[in-house]
Amino acid sequence: MKMEEKKDNHLLMNILHEAQEKHGYISEQVLKQISVEQNIPISRLYGVAKFYTMFHTEPQGRYVVEICGSPSCILNNGVQIEKFLEREIGVKIGKTSKDGMFSLYKTSCIGCCDEAPAIRINGQPHTKMTVERVQVLLKKLRTAFKKKKKK
Amino acid sequence: MQILHKTNLEALERARMLGSDGVLSLLERKGLVGRGGASSPTAKKWRECRDTPADERFVVCNANEGEPGSFKDKLIIRHNAETLIEGILIAAYIVGAKRCFIYLRGEYDHLRPRLQEQIADVLPRANLEGVSIEIVRGAGAYICDEATALLKSIMGFRGTPMYRPPNPTTEGLWGRPTLVGNVETLTCAAQAVLFDDWDANLRLFSLSGNIKNAGVYEFPLGVKMSSVIDVARPQRKLKAMSFGCFGGIMPVDENMSITPEAVCKGNCKQGNYSIIFIDETNNVVDISYSIAKFYTYESCGKCTPCREGTIRILNLLKKIRSGRGVKDDLQLLRELAMHVQETSLCNLGQTCGNHVLTSLEHFPEDYEAYLARKK
Repeated sequence: MKMEEKKDNHLLMNILHEAQEKHGYISEQVLKQISVEQNIPISRLYGVAKFYTMFHTEPQGRYVVEICGSPSCILNNGVQIEKFLEREIGVKIGKTSKDGMFSLYKTSCIGCCDEAPAIRINGQPHTKMTVERVQVLLKKLRTAFKKKKKK
Repeated sequence: MQILHKTNLEALERARMLGSDGVLSLLERKGLVGRGGASSPTAKKWRECRDTPADERFVVCNANEGEPGSFKDKLIIRHNAETLIEGILIAAYIVGAKRCFIYLRGEYDHLRPRLQEQIADVLPRANLEGVSIEIVRGAGAYICDEATALLKSIMGFRGTPMYRPPNPTTEGLWGRPTLVGNVETLTCAAQAVLFDDWDANLRLFSLSGNIKNAGVYEFPLGVKMSSVIDVARPQRKLKAMSFGCFGGIMPVDENMSITPEAVCKGNCKQGNYSIIFIDETNNVVDISYSIAKFYTYESCGKCTPCREGTIRILNLLKKIRSGRGVKDDLQLLRELAMHVQETSLCNLGQTCGNHVLTSLEHFPEDYEAYLARKK
């Protein structure tokens, strides 16, 4: 596997993750900066950022909600949770709510099949979801969001 | 559980005493094989990596466990990361690597802070000069389970598989010999080196679906399906089971003994035992549809049959489920699945039709039920 890369290069995956954590998403500006710092063509960087589903090149909501779509979750009422979340948040899968609070996605198995159905919010898994538990969770997030906005 | 036994750096000590050849012949004698899926003898792979002349070598731990229904690696990282780290260090010591990586899937990022702490704790005590372990953060690409795709991802490229040979063991990261080992394999390696009574026959089973006792269990190879079902405790009468996504959907046969050959007639080398149980209240086509969605989502797009084929399979299943399907669609679905499997480069494409082919073979009545539901 002869890649043109020098082997003392920093790990690009980690760099992109850190950039996303800092800026919320990987903007063109950020890509340009990484391109200069790491001496990697921006075309390649953009290709990498677009390839991995966890990297976002568009602004995201404060809370990124991902619904697990694995068979184990589907078998344990996952579809009901998905429909409920879509209705409750008021956006379709793949979209961000107008107030910038939620982005809703569907994801492949997140490895919580033993506690299905599962969702992830900002990277943290929430398992054994029921409609009631989702309601409680959303209420908590909404309160936290409003508080932060006031500040 | 054997996999949770801690080795407390004594395995590394023993490895040093035995020396590189000693450890390899010990692993050979104990019969350790890769647990990621390929079931290749571990000692052979390690030896090949060690004996390839190079100025530098690498060890990579593949913690990109993405197979739906499989969550055994999470258990190990959560409860026995010290032994995993020791396994990586032993591998580094044997092949002569200085720089080691753990490719941790993005979905397990919540486990990263603790894993990082454990690396910082174990590494200085191991006394291996110049050896480092870095965590590479995956970002949601199932395809990076495949070794060549994983290595490309570490090097900062799109994670698309490459043609083999060369294998990563002889030409991997930055053109140097690289040992890629699964989480379970590396943990087992440390345990196999230290414990005299280590049992090579035990495998981790991830059980999930319509059952009460979902979780990770340890069973010997060849265990009867009835014993597994007893432990799993289904909620209702079982109808089918799916071996991960790639093994296909099959009827539940209580007398079947679980070996790689029995699981898919030897067509797929099963090193990864994840069983999703499906009960009688479900239509198998719905499950097949969710698996098809998974493959469409995860196909890397490198080769056309897989990129386009997975979408076409999904669309056909969508059509059938919506009640607009006709009988000919089933034949088309079958042909399409076979075609994609035969013409794809990597394991993802080669197995992405299994769920369609097996469900069509074993549960034609479920498809008929949808066809009869004309709109």
